This record gives sequence, structure tokens and C-alpha cells, in this order.
Amino acid sequence: MRDLIDIWVGIQTWIFETVVGPLLFGFGQMAWYEPGYNAVEFVMLGVVQIAVIAVGMRFFERRWPLEKPGKDDRLILVDQIYTLLNKLGVVPLAIFIVTYPLVQEIELAVRAWGFAPPRLERILPWLGDNALASFLVYFVLYDFAAYWLHRAQHAFPWWWALHSLHHSQRKMTVWTDDRNHVVDDLLITLALVLFSQLVGVQPGEYVVILMIGRLVESWSHANVDMNFGWLGNRLLVGPRFHRLHHALANPDERHIQDHNFAPVFSIWDILFGTAIYDTRNRPTGVADPAVDRDNDHGWTAQQVRVFWRFVRALTPKIRRATAL
Amino acid sequence: MKNLVFAAIALTMGASGAARADAVLVLNSDEASYSILSRSGRVELARFPVGREPHHVIVTPDGKEMLVGSTATNELLGLDIKTGERTRVVKDIIDPYHLGFSPNGKWFVTAAYRLDHVDIFHADGYRLAGRIFIDGLPSHMAFDAESKTVFVTLQQSGRLAAFDLQTQTLKWNVPVGNTPAGIVMLPDNQRLLVALTGEDGIVVVDPKDGGVKGTLQTGKGAHNFWPKGDGRLYFLSNRVEGTVSLIDTVEMKVVGEVRVPGGPDCMDITPDGKELWVTQRFLRRVAVIDVDQLRVVASIPVGKSPHGVFMLRSGPARPTGGPIRAASTAGDQK
Repeated sequence: MRDLIDIWVGIQTWIFETVVGPLLFGFGQMAWYEPGYNAVEFVMLGVVQIAVIAVGMRFFERRWPLEKPGKDDRLILVDQIYTLLNKLGVVPLAIFIVTYPLVQEIELAVRAWGFAPPRLERILPWLGDNALASFLVYFVLYDFAAYWLHRAQHAFPWWWALHSLHHSQRKMTVWTDDRNHVVDDLLITLALVLFSQLVGVQPGEYVVILMIGRLVESWSHANVDMNFGWLGNRLLVGPRFHRLHHALANPDERHIQDHNFAPVFSIWDILFGTAIYDTRNRPTGVADPAVDRDNDHGWTAQQVRVFWRFVRALTPKIRRATAL
Repeated sequence: MKNLVFAAIALTMGASGAARADAVLVLNSDEASYSILSRSGRVELARFPVGREPHHVIVTPDGKEMLVGSTATNELLGLDIKTGERTRVVKDIIDPYHLGFSPNGKWFVTAAYRLDHVDIFHADGYRLAGRIFIDGLPSHMAFDAESKTVFVTLQQSGRLAAFDLQTQTLKWNVPVGNTPAGIVMLPDNQRLLVALTGEDGIVVVDPKDGGVKGTLQTGKGAHNFWPKGDGRLYFLSNRVEGTVSLIDTVEMKVVGEVRVPGGPDCMDITPDGKELWVTQRFLRRVAVIDVDQLRVVASIPVGKSPHGVFMLRSGPARPTGGPIRAASTAGDQK
């Protein structure tokens, strides 16, 4: 294990000390020296994720596809662009630049008042002696927060205006998970970072949780006819389970997308009454033609039109005016 | 295999003082833990949880305890100087990134790096005497020999500030260079050395008014000092250059250099003065430097982003106080 860590940090250090560090030094940005080093790791993890998706997960999609190849295959390309921009740090960097000062201000204000969020280890001391247990507990807590945020994305019209972009994909694949509006990504990131700081997730743990969580989510969007068995499907979110969340609403199932919200652990849907299990194949997408038209556009146009959808949802006057 | 044998022996001895007298403490700042290493075996013996974002460690004036600043939980965590075991928690110390006791042991000072303030406490009971808000990321500190003034570097604004300990007021605040970090008061009590992490060397500063009296090129990202122990020679880590320089503070010249990759940061020297241990922040290791030969003889794996490093003692550490102590103050506070 230590050998793997040495190889990993060796590559990270080489990239940082050869490229990023000298750049930060040259531009007089040494205050970002440590964050810059962590950013290199983030991009490296992104490369690993892309490799796992492109090689590992795609193997299963090709071998056991749920939906056969068809005319909608062309829609996958834009999702691949989303994945590259996200995993290689382009979108996260933009989000970081916006959210970092805000998160800092909130955290500093809270701490300046003398409140320091306690780590769970203070309440459950045995966690401190077991790194794996500690990690799992934080992972479960993180996923719990993500579950409720996901419900909020569907509950508030202005948030749905953003999140509907994710659902508009008619051809779900391993690349679909990253198909999100940057404002949606920003809001989710902000909320999850604040939550993580509140419960005491360490920066190192946060990165690993993020990586594993996003890989599971990529897999849950995969176009594969596989599941984890009766018990496994009730513990972990898989493609069959999550596909129901993306199912196209129909007269008999108008609110089918208000189910199976859990990102990683399906237990949340079971506990809060939003779980459904069904093996019937359904088409995916959004029944609203205006949202479905997202599929006619590339990354930039999608971002622009969905932003305006978001603005209209936020401002009733504009919404009414455009409805006339 | 040899390391495993050492580890087994040390672990068999358990947490006894005998075992830990040979031990080294390292703060893994990014994973909220500290490692206990065997100095002779050069292997990590154990790793324990500690607060959140622990960066620096200092000895209490009575020499019996180490205090770790847990910056994100607003606490000081006391560790036994012999065993490294936890002894107590001092709460409500806001953002204690860097910390130090005045040489006379009466004042305890913390630099709140992220919250932009310097707190001056009565060391007896850690009662807050005064809080001075100051922009620019206050980071490292040093004291004058008379325990009247604390000097604090301001990394972001490129300045050095001096505060009167008795009145908790600002005496002066002057520019010294790009990203000043580590600072040390020399034994003559007439010169402060300030490492400029945003440049490639250090400046010599007059403690009376902050005037820059000289410069010395060492390496890119000059960051932190540690005394060799003779009152004249000081080690300096250069984070970007990936080196540790040995500086003669009388001649004001670099007399030696050793390559230490991975962002070398805090240091401590073994009681016999033969080895300098340096945290390699990026590589998650601690380098061991043979002081006579100025070469790295070992690099020991620890946790993520190791920052503070400290040699545990078989007995109480040197008490604070006196000009010699003042000379090594910055070193002891890292």
C-alpha cells in the first residue's frame, strides 16, 4: 500500500514541483502553494476516474447493454465533454474560485464566534482508532446530505430548471453523471463543502469520498443490464435503480422521477419512502418538450439556455411575460 | 526488515517513557493525526487522531508538555513530552496556527493565520490579554530577549509587524518582501532573520523599527529556520527550491546546502546534534539529514502533509527564558 502511495505522491510532487509550483512562485501566488498541490491531486484523480469509466465501465456497457445502439447515440458526445471538463478540473476550478471566498467567509465567521464544529470522533471515540470505520461513517453522512440536496433539486422549481438539464438526456450512459449546469454544480458543491466542514470531514477524506462517490454515480448511470442482487440493490445504487429515477414520466407514472434519489446508498430512499424497484425498461428523459430540446445543443448552448430557464424560474414576472 | 524489527521492539515496549525517549512526533496536518516515529529505527510506530489541521507544536515553559495547535477546532492539545500521549485540551484558542511562549514564560501568543488576528494571552491559565486584528495572513513569530515584543510575519501583505506584549498594541508594521514566513531572533537580540517564501532568500531586519539591514540569497521559497544549537549556524528550508541551507549568521553567508525534495518545511535536531529531521510536506515523509555530511540518510513515510516535527524527550525539555532560548525561539515554535 505504501508503495502505491509513494508512486502516487511521487507523480503528484513531480508535476507540482516541475510545473505548478514554479508558476505560482513566478506569479507571486505563494499563498496558493498548498491548495495548488492539492489541485494537482484532484486532476490526477480525474484522470484515474476517466480511465475507469472509459475502460472498465464502458466494457460492461458494450458487453451487456440495456438499450441497443440507436439514433440517440449522437447525444452521448456532449456528456463526454461534460465529463472531461469536470474530471480534469476545469469546471471545479471555476466553481472553486467562486465558492472558496464564500465558504471561507462563512467558516471564518462561525469560527470567529468561537464555534468549532466537533469531529464525530469526539462523540464516538472508537472511530478515532479505526480509519476505515471513520471514513465509512463520514461517507454515509455525506451521502445523506447529498440525498436531501437531490430531493431539493427536484422540489424547488428554480432548482429543477437547472437540474432538468441532467435529466434531459435520452441516452443514459456512464458519461451522463457529469451532465450538469455549472450553477447547479456550484450550489451542490457549496452545500456539500459546508456540510462536510460542519460534521468534520477532513480534506483528505473529502477527496476520497468525492472520488468513490462520483465513480459509483457514473456507474449508476451506465447503460448496462446488471444489478447487485436483491440485497445489494437495497444497499448500493446501481444502474437499474437509478434508471427509474431518470425514467420518462407518462400518464400512469407522472411522478416517477420523484423516486430513487440516493446518490450512493439506496438505504435513504427506503428509509424515507422514495424507493421503487422495477425491472421494466422505460425510456429516459424529460416529458417537457422545452427541456428535451437541450438535446439539440452542445455544451455552451446548453449552459446558456438552461441559465435563462433558471432565471425565468427565479423571476415570476419574467416567467409570466414570456408565457404571454 | 530491519525497520520492522525496530518497530516490533518499540511496540513491545509499549508506551513506556523508555520507548518514547527515542521517539519523534510528526503532525500530519491534512489528516488530523500525529505520528510517533522511532528515531533510531527510522520507522513510524503509531499514528493517533488529533484535532483538525494540526500544524505546529511548542514546548510549555515548564518543559513537561507539548502543545499542538488544532487550528480548525480552536483548541490546544496537550501531549506528554516523554510519551506523546494526550494530557489535556485547552479550549477557545481561536485558530492557533502558530504559537509561542515569550522567553520569560509569561506570555503565550497565537497567530490566527486564516482569521487575521494575533492573540496575546497570559501564559498562566491561557487568559486572553488582547486580540489585535491585522490583515495579511499572520503566520510565524519570534520574541525579543526581554519578552517585551513579539514579531509576526504577514504572509499575504509581505509585511512584518511588532506588537508590545504588555499593552497588546501594534508598535510597527513594515514591508519586508514577498510572502514572509519563518522568523528568528538572533542571540545578539539585534537582528531578526525573516525567510521570504515568495522570493529566494532571507532578509535581516532591525527589531527596533523593522528596517531591512541586509539580504541573503538561499533558494526559492525560503521558509523556516531551525538553530543548529551553537547560536551561530541556522538551518533554513527552501520549499520551492527543495533544499535546506545552512547559514552562518555571523558571516551572513550560506555555508552548506542539502537537497530535500517534496517541499521541506519544519525541522528539529536530535539531542546529540547529529541529525536534522525535516518534514517533506508533499511526499508525506520526514527526511533525516546527517548534519556533518549534509546529506539525506533516510526518508520515513508518515501521514498526509506532515508539518510540525518534534523530538520527544526522556526528561523535561529546556525551560524557556534567557537570551539563548530567545535565539532558538523561532525554531522551537516552528
